[in-house]
Amino acid sequence: MSALTKPPNRPGHHSLVESEQTLPDSQTAVVRAEHLSKRFGDLCAVDDLTFSLKPGTVTGFLGPNGAGKTTTLRMLLHLVEPSAGRVLVFGTRYQDLERPAAQVGAVLEAADFHPGRSGRDHLFSLALALGRDTQGGHWFRGRERAAADRVDSVLDLVELRSAGRRRVGSYSLGMRQRLGLAAALLGDPALLILDEPANGLDPEGVRWLRDFLRGFAADGKTVLVSSHVLAEVAQTVDDVIIINKGRLVTISPLAGLTARRTGTVRVRASGAHRLQAKLETEGLLVTLLDGDELLVEGAPSARVGEIAYQAGIPLAELVPESSSLEDVFLEMTSGEPS
Amino acid sequence: MTDQLLAELRKMRSTRTNLGLLAGMIALILLTVLLNGFVPEAAELTTHDNQHALLSAGTSAALFAALIGVMAITSEFRHGTIRPTFVVTPQRTRVIGAKVIASLVMGALFGLVAIGLSLGVGYAILAIRDIPLELGTGHLLWLVLGTPAMTAAWAALGVGLGAVVRNQVFAVIGLIVWAMVIDNLLRGLLPSIGGYTPVGASAALVADPADYVLAAGAGGLLLLGYVAALVAAGAILVGHRDVT
Repeated sequence: MSALTKPPNRPGHHSLVESEQTLPDSQTAVVRAEHLSKRFGDLCAVDDLTFSLKPGTVTGFLGPNGAGKTTTLRMLLHLVEPSAGRVLVFGTRYQDLERPAAQVGAVLEAADFHPGRSGRDHLFSLALALGRDTQGGHWFRGRERAAADRVDSVLDLVELRSAGRRRVGSYSLGMRQRLGLAAALLGDPALLILDEPANGLDPEGVRWLRDFLRGFAADGKTVLVSSHVLAEVAQTVDDVIIINKGRLVTISPLAGLTARRTGTVRVRASGAHRLQAKLETEGLLVTLLDGDELLVEGAPSARVGEIAYQAGIPLAELVPESSSLEDVFLEMTSGEPS
Repeated sequence: MTDQLLAELRKMRSTRTNLGLLAGMIALILLTVLLNGFVPEAAELTTHDNQHALLSAGTSAALFAALIGVMAITSEFRHGTIRPTFVVTPQRTRVIGAKVIASLVMGALFGLVAIGLSLGVGYAILAIRDIPLELGTGHLLWLVLGTPAMTAAWAALGVGLGAVVRNQVFAVIGLIVWAMVIDNLLRGLLPSIGGYTPVGASAALVADPADYVLAAGAGGLLLLGYVAALVAAGAILVGHRDVT
């Protein structure tokens, strides 16, 4: 039986190699980090990080505080120079992109504003620096008009039009977050990068942001959003990249995170002893709970059901026992993997 | 770089910083002209050098102009706006260049206001007190042209200084301590060197009779050299340092 020769799918034995095979190459990847490292003196903030992003997805970039998320994002945006390795955006270095802000938008800090400048003027200066996508027209008025149009449209998008002429110093935290997002959207980018966007947002703001990001990705665009709390982004992301102490822990679809880590299935069947023997010959770890109930480790529920079917044992119950996402996340980012 | 230049000019117009500097400059120059114009006896004001001191009060705009440049770059580091600025324009030299040009423009405007104020009010005071003008046309022309040139240069110098220092408080304190204390001490104690400092070169540019170490043109060139050196140092440092 071929299944005998296949090693059991042990929890904790996965990640890098497996993930890299399914990753897009640097031609199609929206972002591709290759052996990216950054040292600050003796501190190794990012250590040999390799990952890539598929277009049209929302990817959660997760790890505890100090894991190297912010440093990685800043290397991506050419704010911080890598000590080794490189990171490519749309196949090229960020600083080599033509009009990079028309391809990549970024919200890095909640408060990157001059408090005495109006929200509209903040956006206006960035829109002017971004330049026009079309040439022609009066050299000055043409630029001013193009910038004004973009500013108004992003202010509408984040619902800040009425507060645009007020000084940012008078804005609430939620308004500042939305202003930061508006700035990132000025160039109508295909990739949006957000560093801990949920910090300080009220539940309504978190929900608004979630809906916005889902809509953004639904248009075929890509989002990379960092967080130190998995629950904040669990309802938003398709894939997760988890790092800890500057190193990659895992890249996985969100759904695969719990399945791959736990792979525990609870089964109830009248022929429990016979099923136990059968499952054990398939190389699975089986514990007899009481009477007719088994705990099976090392295979997804579908595989367990298949084995029972082949053995002709009717099942009364088949329940995948997944621990919560947060448990998995904490387990992965604290100390040794199980 | 037109896009970046328009962006920098917009930034300069959209906070109260430069308005505050302009108001401070006007107040200081008016005070200086009024004191120099009304406190001395009429006889004292008939001398060439004292009339120069009265009419050239506008040259003190240089310090305010330098603050334009210092604030243009250090406020970006202070408030974190340097991050979106560099994300939109990762070519940092282009950003520094745009700040230098925008500061040159603003500095020149400050200088025109300043020298217009001190010449206008100073001349009015002389006229009121029936004191004949002793300064020649050439001298006045150097004042009118040299002052905006000098303030433009100091504004650019401020960008270079701010780019090197980055910390706003340290840059402002450093500028004031140099311009008002160290440079003055050098010129007072070691006049042979003092004529060649940034302030000394500036004084030559506006034909200050107390500082005839350098000719006006040479002073202007030397000042330009200081500006170029500091701006280049700032651009190189900003280009190489991580923005965290």
